[in-house]
Amino acid sequence: MDRIRVLLIDDEPGFTRMLKLNLERRGFEVRVENDGATAHSVAREFLPNFIFLDVIMPDVDGGEVASKIRSDPGLKEVPIVFLTAGVSKEATRVKGNVIGNETYLAKPASVDEVVRCIEKSLGKKAGIGSRSL
Amino acid sequence: MTQEYLVAHRSWQAWGVLAAGMAFTGLLGAYILSLLGQSANVERLVAQRTEELHRANEETKSAQLQLVQAAKLESVGRLAAGVAHEVKNPLAVILFAIDYLKESVDSKDPNVPTALNDAREAVVRADAVIRALLDFSTGAELTPSVQDVNDVLQKALLLVRHAITKAHILVVEEFEEGLPPAMLDTNKFEQVLVNLFINAIDAMPNGGRLTVRTRQERLKGVGPEVGARRTDRFRVDVSVIVVEIEDTGTGIEEGAQARLFDPFFTTKSPGKGTGLGLAVCKSIIALHGGTVGIANKEGGGGARATVVMRSVRPQGEGTTDG
Repeated sequence: MDRIRVLLIDDEPGFTRMLKLNLERRGFEVRVENDGATAHSVAREFLPNFIFLDVIMPDVDGGEVASKIRSDPGLKEVPIVFLTAGVSKEATRVKGNVIGNETYLAKPASVDEVVRCIEKSLGKKAGIGSRSL
Repeated sequence: MTQEYLVAHRSWQAWGVLAAGMAFTGLLGAYILSLLGQSANVERLVAQRTEELHRANEETKSAQLQLVQAAKLESVGRLAAGVAHEVKNPLAVILFAIDYLKESVDSKDPNVPTALNDAREAVVRADAVIRALLDFSTGAELTPSVQDVNDVLQKALLLVRHAITKAHILVVEEFEEGLPPAMLDTNKFEQVLVNLFINAIDAMPNGGRLTVRTRQERLKGVGPEVGARRTDRFRVDVSVIVVEIEDTGTGIEEGAQARLFDPFFTTKSPGKGTGLGLAVCKSIIALHGGTVGIANKEGGGGARATVVMRSVRPQGEGTTDG
């Protein structure tokens, strides 16, 4: 049983640090990247099962990072959820967090919401961050 | 003989002069009368033009006020969007930290869980205020579609079912059958309805009756927001859908009536309302081209919220009314 690997891409170190602590305690393996410009290369190296991606970042924003990851044959199947302060909970409530073709989770979210979001994206019910790969 | 002729001749001349004089006087009188008539006409025209100018002036003033209001809202919108991003990120960090501490702190002090819960609720409340501010200022984007108002009402009632049951409130649905559809952004309209329902529920802490009523109505006479001027929301004789939400609660206090839709005005206890709910409702309904009002019921015993929306004509009969 390998742990589920989650990559957190967000330019707020305090945010990624707190989320990493919470997710690791729930059994996930977490890698943090605070720079959009190097996020793609980190993803290629870490090979995550799931990616949380901030939308508004300096230099290279979330949209650009998502585009690079999706055009990478080794990463294109990895689910990406945009975890952002730029949308409201009301907006994300519509059609199970999907706006357009993208999935969003509005900040601030509780750890339970974050874990539910990962489980839903990976089609998994157990609340432990591990699975048979 | 010659003298007699002359006398007679002069007499004819005198008659002639007299007749000409009378004719002239008559013509002069007629001319003066015509002038007087024209003067009355001119006065009537001046009065009419003055009234039109006055009305145009009022419309211009109203349009100017609307422009100022729109500019203010735009500024608030820009500010709110910036504030939302800058504040939501720290809130997210605090929320994750609280969640982490809740599972980590093993203290014998019973106040620790209380303190963490209070902190968590404070974050949720701050987030609610920011969300409401965003809704208030950035609600300009509607995604309207043709909807059955009765259906949307029923869905909105489902969302507050828990609060209704908890407060021991009886719901009475008086939905008119065959109601014409309306162009609605269902999410935003649902948000308005939920807000009005919650206000009604909060006004009945000891239980009561929530009546939700719909009907189609043809606006017959000129009234507030109804008329022929450009600034009037509805034209006389258009078909509208009226939604009424009535409670049997405490009613609206006298001083509060005029300020109900003002941003940050609330009669709820601290922490229960952001004071933006009704301001958001008004903004959303106005975007739909409708009106919303709240008043105490005739004879007291609760309040009634009334939403008036334009209806859509049945297929094949053209576009929206009004």
